[in-house]
Amino acid sequence: MAESILWRCREPVTAMLTIYGNKNAKFCDGVSRRDFLRIGGLALGGAALPSILRAEAQQGVGKSHKAVIMIFLPGGPSHQDMFDLKMDAPSEIRGEFRPIGTNVAGIQITEHMPLLAKMMDRCTLIRSMSDCDGRHDAFQCLTGRIFTQQPPGGWPSFGSTVSKVQGCIDPAVPAFVGLAPKMGHMEWARCGDPGFLGVAHAPFQPNKGSGVEDMTLNGVTLDRLADRRTLLTGFDQFRRDVDASGLMDGLDTFNQQAFGVLTSSNLLNALDVTKEDPRIAARYGKSDPKNRDDGGPKMMEHFLAARRLVEAGARCVTVAFSRWDHHGKNFDALRQDLPLLDQGLTALLDDLKERGLDKDVSVVVWGEFGRTPQINKDGGRDHWPKVSCALLAGGGMRHGQVIGATDRLGGEATERPVLFGEVFATLYNRLGIDVSKTTINDLTGRPQYLVQPGCLPMKELV
Amino acid sequence: MLSISKRTLFILTSLAPLATAAPTLQIEATGTPELTLRGKDAKQQIIVTAKLDDGALRDFTHKATYSASPAGIVTIDATGIVAPVADGAAVITAEADGVKATFPVKIEGAGTRQPINFANQIVPVFTKAGCNSGGCHGKAGGQNGFKLSLLGFEPGEDYEHIVKEARGRRVFPAAPDNSLLLLKGLNVMPHGGGRRMDAKSDDYALVARWIAQGMPFGQESDPKVERIEVIPKARTMALGGDQQIIVLARYTDGSVQDVTRSALYEANEKSMAEADETGRVKLFDQPGDVAIMVRYQGKVATFRATVPLGAQVASLPPVRNFIDEQVFTKLKAMGVPPSDPCDDATFIRRVSIDIAGRLPSLDETNRFLADKDAAKRDRLIDTLLASPEYADYFANKWSSLLRNKRTEARDASSTFAFYGWLRDSLRANRPYNEIVRDVLAATGTVDENPASGWYRQVKEPQQQLEDAAQLFLGVRMQCAQCHHHPFEKWSQNDYYSFSAFFSQVGRKGSAVKETETIFHRRGVASAVNKKTKQPVKPAALITGPMEIAPEDDPRLALADWMSNRANPFFARTLVNRYWKHFFNRGIVEPEDDMRETNPPSNPELLEALAAKFVESGYDLKGLVRDITRSQTYQLSAVPNNYNKSDRQNFSRYYAKRLTAEVLYDSLNELTRTPSNFSGMPAGTRAISLPDNSFNAGSYFLTVFGRPDSSSACECERTQEASLAQALHLLNAKDIQEKLASSSGAAAKLAADARPDEDKLRELYLIAYARQPEAAELALAKTHIDKPRNAADGKPMEAVAAKRQGYEDILWAILNTKEFLFNH
Repeated sequence: MAESILWRCREPVTAMLTIYGNKNAKFCDGVSRRDFLRIGGLALGGAALPSILRAEAQQGVGKSHKAVIMIFLPGGPSHQDMFDLKMDAPSEIRGEFRPIGTNVAGIQITEHMPLLAKMMDRCTLIRSMSDCDGRHDAFQCLTGRIFTQQPPGGWPSFGSTVSKVQGCIDPAVPAFVGLAPKMGHMEWARCGDPGFLGVAHAPFQPNKGSGVEDMTLNGVTLDRLADRRTLLTGFDQFRRDVDASGLMDGLDTFNQQAFGVLTSSNLLNALDVTKEDPRIAARYGKSDPKNRDDGGPKMMEHFLAARRLVEAGARCVTVAFSRWDHHGKNFDALRQDLPLLDQGLTALLDDLKERGLDKDVSVVVWGEFGRTPQINKDGGRDHWPKVSCALLAGGGMRHGQVIGATDRLGGEATERPVLFGEVFATLYNRLGIDVSKTTINDLTGRPQYLVQPGCLPMKELV
Repeated sequence: MLSISKRTLFILTSLAPLATAAPTLQIEATGTPELTLRGKDAKQQIIVTAKLDDGALRDFTHKATYSASPAGIVTIDATGIVAPVADGAAVITAEADGVKATFPVKIEGAGTRQPINFANQIVPVFTKAGCNSGGCHGKAGGQNGFKLSLLGFEPGEDYEHIVKEARGRRVFPAAPDNSLLLLKGLNVMPHGGGRRMDAKSDDYALVARWIAQGMPFGQESDPKVERIEVIPKARTMALGGDQQIIVLARYTDGSVQDVTRSALYEANEKSMAEADETGRVKLFDQPGDVAIMVRYQGKVATFRATVPLGAQVASLPPVRNFIDEQVFTKLKAMGVPPSDPCDDATFIRRVSIDIAGRLPSLDETNRFLADKDAAKRDRLIDTLLASPEYADYFANKWSSLLRNKRTEARDASSTFAFYGWLRDSLRANRPYNEIVRDVLAATGTVDENPASGWYRQVKEPQQQLEDAAQLFLGVRMQCAQCHHHPFEKWSQNDYYSFSAFFSQVGRKGSAVKETETIFHRRGVASAVNKKTKQPVKPAALITGPMEIAPEDDPRLALADWMSNRANPFFARTLVNRYWKHFFNRGIVEPEDDMRETNPPSNPELLEALAAKFVESGYDLKGLVRDITRSQTYQLSAVPNNYNKSDRQNFSRYYAKRLTAEVLYDSLNELTRTPSNFSGMPAGTRAISLPDNSFNAGSYFLTVFGRPDSSSACECERTQEASLAQALHLLNAKDIQEKLASSSGAAAKLAADARPDEDKLRELYLIAYARQPEAAELALAKTHIDKPRNAADGKPMEAVAAKRQGYEDILWAILNTKEFLFNH
């Protein structure tokens, strides 16, 4: 029997990194672990998990797993001032910015992102995101779904789905981490809800609510915690085999990890950007913790933390950056913010590349919708769900291209309209998840596909 | 096709045993004593069964060697598939372990081919290859412009799409092999779905021949599949064993055909068994019951394997009621010896949590442990059932399932009223069928009639039917809204007919408040079948359409139908749901997905519980009493050498983590600090919170998975573990504050003049309902007596040091598994 266990845990490790998490990651979730225990049958004791973790360590897994970083620009950035400038449009539409050339012949972007222009060969612009739901929140960018007609419990976000399907790599580092500062309009600071998958697959949100409080010692010293832990070990001698479901073992594992978090751990290290080489940290620029209007502060360090988290074992990290809902003084605001996005994003992309992670880590940057072609009387642009843009990078995708196009005024997609679901299918594909086969059961027991029907990975990219 | 005789007996063709240990062999094909194959393409799987000298049956199909004589009539391959060569009669011989069995075969019309019927023969090829699955061409919008009906439920539409759509470009009768359909299937032309067929396979040849024949659809008069059946239906198998099964399709004209290789297979317990595409079932190394669901053309059948552990069940604890009889019978058959009965300390903690959702008080525990009355467990059960906490705890459960959800502050009067009504009904032990009737057939506003609260949140007839079916009948109808249910017999007609019961639910705004009035809108109840666009009358699943007069509320007819004594769904679903509440696993699992293809692990037990429940007049407290009085419920959770991996047969109590609410209340009990829910009096128990709205303000309840009343499924409650939970229990600020509270347990214990040993014993009784072991006591005492320094490095004052010691001990206790679990 022992042999068959080993075979079962070794198989996914050696076969292909991308499917690795599919099986082994079950151990991150107290309940699915029972499947393993069942396979193991009678003789399998508590020794199984450590041996699996050892097997993992030997294989060097965790160094270069596949991951996705989702950068959400709350409020809807104006597509025609970033990636789809319309120089031939009349002045009330054209805007104040000039395009600049990039290192890919024929692709132009805003003059306020010069660093990105130098690495356009490593990015793809989608100019024709065409099915924006029109809601003023992160829902669609996090779930790929429209808000109405959700199954009971609601659609799970991308990261929650990945957590469910692939589990975590290092049990001390949650598969799904959400980095969003406190914002005036909290809908923009949502990192993704677990929906019908339940709270076990909620994002770990170090910046929000009790989750943060719980990560730093509350009212006890490290010494006293160590003391308590010894005491707990002495008390907690209850027979684990009264529970055949594996949940008790699961709790033990999480307790170990939690002590790790409270003393020193991968997760905390990853989140602690002061541990980064100062030269590298400097590339990301300085954060501005002030909220802009009802939005959020400009947390440059979240770009860095995202990379560190992915390295530590997270599969999906969401970042909500600044605020882009400029109904007035659009151009002044963008003059301030675009260079920050330029710096943070390019530092991240460079960093991923230098570490050899750019084939494994996909990055997507977008907002909930585009903005009106017509500039309003306050020098702003209003909501425009008819079209928006997205930037993709990394993930071993084919880059240096533009997908789709809009009309002369940037008002509607004229070529290759792209659905959010297609981008999600592509990102799942990069994680090794086949959207045409994988389903997750909702609360009614109905198997649900991961993206809306008909959406497949984009042929242009993969 | 084969003609069948109505006889179902078969002949045991055996040779005299050569030695005492030699098995006897038996061959089966279609359930008749001989096999007749008609037409060139007829094929038949046979199975060879060995009867061992101890009477056990073992599958030898893949072990036997085959021959047929005379030669030239039939062929038989190593997997037991018989195919015709020429007309005539032959005898097949199977040989294994030195013994033989024979079986007569007749071949007719070996030179002729039957005309192909699209629905019966071609569509199953797409189903088996996965072309029409929900991830591919079977989804609502099709795939890349080519759409098939999901799992081939609509052959007429599939025919249109394959043969006529896109100007017929998908098929090419002049050169069938060049048909787009086949070129894609072989992935010769680039195909997003890859290679789905083998050019040498029978399936490929069949489709090619169908195209060559000019794509016949078949005649209106052609037979249709009436049902499928599996041979054998059930078998007791050995661990790690395997079994070839035969799947027969029975047609409307009485003919029968082997569809073993065209059917789809799926195990309900995937950790126990798997079946390959040829219908060969392989068991893994876990004892128990497993069902293999077999699907073909929208019909389902099940093969059940029972895998005994085979240990000696020498002695059983005394039977306390009918539950034990059924459970122990099963345990004997499975060879799984049960654990010993649990001790009194375990029992009082277990049953108090399971019935009243709380730990027993110190006083209750002391009295119970000291009580010498042999009937004290029964008396405790009655006391708990009479306590208000019983009603709190079960109202909490039902309130969530009946979607008593507060989304806005102004909903509070409605949610409180509905909750209050549920609680009162449970407290008064109103019959379950009456409670359900009040909910389903409610009229009026929530103020006048709180039972109408269900309609406040469940607004559309389709939601109403889906919730009612899942909650009260254990049937998941959702799939049948858009297509035939893949694992069930339910069609779209069943779905819409059921929804017709809710077609006359009227709503109007109320003059006083924003609450709505629910009323019966006079008129003939009917709904439109979305597929056929035809109106359908109300019909409840299996009993056919009902005639309901326009002035009668159809919902009353539905409620009557449910509480009809003969209703096979209603009582079973409830007893199974309650069984799971106590045992952490349903007799059918999941508890609200009862179908032929997901059979109960102990059908007799389910039957007995349901019969008793009906007979008792749907007495919910009576059911709880029966369950908790049983020896089965009172078995220890600690496994013996044999039942460690048993998760189906209830050979022991299956430990479960305390739910969010119970855990929170227990923690307050232990730390002697009150809860604080906004808008509720301090000290309100989490189990008596009237709706979901308190979750938002309580990270504790959220992170431990209290449901939000968004669904009729118990699965909305998350019992999975997470890092966030561990961090919270070990380090949360509010738990830390409870431990350190100046009016809390640690402060009181430190100031208490009694010896520490006495106080520690008391703590153990509160937390675990048991006395501490000597070693535990010593460990705790040492920890308390340890010298402690304050932050300035000077020794702490004695009371403060002791208080800190008690804080640590309380912290450690609430983090032990013994505390976190009911066991």
